[in-house]
Amino acid sequence: MHSNIAVIHDSLLEIHDGEKYVVTKNNKIVKYSYLCLCTGAEPKLVPQAKDFEEILGIRDTDSVDKFVKKIANAKKVIVVGNGGIASELVYKIKNTEIHWVIKDRHISSTFVDPGAAEFFLPSLKNNEQSTEPVSKRMRYQEEDFKKSGAALGPDWYKNLIIRGAGDLTVPSEVKIHYESEITHISKDRNSVHPLQVTLSNGADLTCDLIISATGVTARKSFATETALELTEFGEIKVNEHMETNVPGIYAAGDVCSANWNVAKHWFQMKLWTQARQMGSYAARCMSGHLNKEEILQDFCFEMFAHSTKLFGYKVILLGLFNGQKLGTNYEILIRMTKGHEYVKFVLENNKLQGAVLIGDTDLEEMAENLILNQIDLSPYGDDILNPDIDIEDYFD
Amino acid sequence: MVVRQYQQELEYLERLSPYCWKIKKGFQPNMNVEGIFYVNQTLEKLMFEELKNACRPGMAGGFLPGVKQIANVAALPGIVGRSIGLPDVHSGYGFAIGNMAAFDMNNPESIVSPGGVGFDINCGVRLLRTSLMESDVLPIKEQLAQSLFDHIPVGVGSKGIIPMNAKDLEEALEMGMDWSLREGYIWAEDKEHCEEYGRMLNADPSKVSTRAKKRGLPQLGTLGAGNHYAEIQVVEEIFDKWAAGKMGIEEKGQVCVMIHSGSRGFGHQVATDALVQMEKAMKRDDIETNDRQLACARINSQEGQDYLKAMAAAANFAWVNRSSMTFLCRQAFAKQFGLAPDDLDMHVIYDVSHNIAKVEEHIVDGVPKTLLVHRKGSTRAFPPHHPLIPVDYQLTGQPVLIGGTMGTCSYVLTGTEQGMMETFGSTCHGAGRALSRAKSRRNLDYTDVLRKLESTGITIRVASPKLVMEEAPESYKNVTDVVDTCHAAGISKKCIKLRPIAVIKG
Repeated sequence: MHSNIAVIHDSLLEIHDGEKYVVTKNNKIVKYSYLCLCTGAEPKLVPQAKDFEEILGIRDTDSVDKFVKKIANAKKVIVVGNGGIASELVYKIKNTEIHWVIKDRHISSTFVDPGAAEFFLPSLKNNEQSTEPVSKRMRYQEEDFKKSGAALGPDWYKNLIIRGAGDLTVPSEVKIHYESEITHISKDRNSVHPLQVTLSNGADLTCDLIISATGVTARKSFATETALELTEFGEIKVNEHMETNVPGIYAAGDVCSANWNVAKHWFQMKLWTQARQMGSYAARCMSGHLNKEEILQDFCFEMFAHSTKLFGYKVILLGLFNGQKLGTNYEILIRMTKGHEYVKFVLENNKLQGAVLIGDTDLEEMAENLILNQIDLSPYGDDILNPDIDIEDYFD
Repeated sequence: MVVRQYQQELEYLERLSPYCWKIKKGFQPNMNVEGIFYVNQTLEKLMFEELKNACRPGMAGGFLPGVKQIANVAALPGIVGRSIGLPDVHSGYGFAIGNMAAFDMNNPESIVSPGGVGFDINCGVRLLRTSLMESDVLPIKEQLAQSLFDHIPVGVGSKGIIPMNAKDLEEALEMGMDWSLREGYIWAEDKEHCEEYGRMLNADPSKVSTRAKKRGLPQLGTLGAGNHYAEIQVVEEIFDKWAAGKMGIEEKGQVCVMIHSGSRGFGHQVATDALVQMEKAMKRDDIETNDRQLACARINSQEGQDYLKAMAAAANFAWVNRSSMTFLCRQAFAKQFGLAPDDLDMHVIYDVSHNIAKVEEHIVDGVPKTLLVHRKGSTRAFPPHHPLIPVDYQLTGQPVLIGGTMGTCSYVLTGTEQGMMETFGSTCHGAGRALSRAKSRRNLDYTDVLRKLESTGITIRVASPKLVMEEAPESYKNVTDVVDTCHAAGISKKCIKLRPIAVIKG
């Protein structure tokens, strides 16, 4: 760590933006010239969570520890939510019966379309997992000495073995409950599985543990003198320099909302990749402001790009990958091989607007460039994804 | 495109030697010069199969066969000599990949075409040697690969770890590897072993759009994805012991590092911006081409000059990019082996550009001429004693680095006098892809997925092979066939064969 960084383990209480200092819960006063709020978000739990200790949210490293301990004694769990964490968990949990409760008509709807969801389904039955010895990017780890609830990075489950108390020889079974939510929970200590759960589709379930991964809300538990402008969801609005309405105060990551005229192929999503990009860009903006340097907006806000792993497949999402912002005025072009790859191009006026690339397609750089260059693809028609043609270097 | 029967098309092709064919004028309209392409028996079959396939009714799609693209380039104004297809030639945007063409600088009609350089301007290959042997690396192969991944960002959206601000970028664009040297990222001798000493002097960052600069800034020092990679390789075979020795390669099993990358999004944006400008210039100057993708401008026009200056800036970007990754590789090796990079003898053997246009002196029909040489998917291969190659290689000829596609072998060749005469000192750049049956062999079954997608109300198109499997052409041009053809045709000479043991890619 750089020697000019001092870490204070404490919580923010008040920001005095007039005199430019902050007060912490332990009554520590810290003066600032520039302040960047990166307080992140906290999991939205199902409303019943406060009444039952068997309902867990997963957000930061602390909650993962708690979750791993609790699931070790569980034979039957319910996972609620349809985003990245829920999808990863359902795939990763071993030796336990799993009921996956989602409000949508297809799985992993935060990221993918119904077609890709269909592509993923077989891997829920066959979760033979291979671990890759080499990670294709710098690995992120929390320092061991002090855990204080850092948000989960991309490697959070890499070395995690999530094992329930079921019979070792039985693989996890996943039963998906589409278009449903939990409506009622009660507890019977004498039952084999103490929680009695009713779903909106009328199903009655029992389980030992409920994992709620239904998204997050901005974490903002401090006071300011001048009111920060917030969105209707309580996120702090920032301009194209990541600055809030209060001079000298910046915000980045899940706590903020991009309140500038965003580029056509970009939109905000609460993802670690975007949080990291925003943090790094906010730092450059503050330094630029201090040194009176012009800072060009970082190009990462020009096109949405997220690379992740779902159900054991490499997944790359680019641009308007689900036709976001395009209404119904677009076409999709698909190529798929079961168990191998799923490629979806989103085209508007024969120009590529977004892409979903699942599996080792080697198409990501080409798709990125086609979106940013807006090359007219009409001469190629459907052949742009013709399986007979290796297109990777055509536009090099 | 002219539509003729395959048999009629064949009348325009004539075998000149076992390794090359002539494309006669008339094969495509308005050809100013003839075309030529280099093949061996295997590659020849692939070239003709591709043409035959394109002659079938309904097959005239967006992808022109290589021979047609070579002939369309032969129709560009100001072209001299021949439009040349190297053995790895395959379909690309505008020019085929593996096509080189030279234009007379003193002819006012002569053009420059971004499609003849490629979007990934100054994409190229760099080879570093080490004093390590395969047995030193094998036991820690995975740790070393991880260490390289930790240092070199790969994949889409990745950002460079070398600190750069807008001002640094301007300087890097202008100075190329002189910037890397000043900032302490490279060794002085690295420059010696680069084409143009790693700096194109006519680079003018003011001719580059802000969008290109914004797009390039975070990508400096990143590898990219797709067909770009870094590889740890070992020497598999030495064909020319003396020349290899000059490159510091002494024996089989010696470990090298190959970096294949270019100017990333920066080059793409420069090319995209230029294409827009040139379409306007073509209307104004009444320039006609056989293919809209061959957008071009007269070399001496404002658009032509602006492009060449911006292209040079992109070339400098690519050299700084490869230099940054060289720095990161040296750091990773040093950390892993606990030795300084110079104790590991991690010198740059050479660095080639295979997507570039350069002003060069050549003899055309016995007359010395100044030419603008476009090399797209083609590598410069100058012979021994050429004044533009480094002193270390004056006697061997210029080293030519040929990267295989991931996982296959790579080669080091050297330039020859015959290549200088026949192909303007140019040779191949790698394997040729474009058509492959690999994916259509797989079971493409969309029923379930389409059923699920119907509910979205969006128009859905499905990509599928046009031909049944048995008749689909197999057109993968194996790097060994490609290199053997260049060697047999005499346009370059085999020196070293390298085999990858670990691949770093997105």
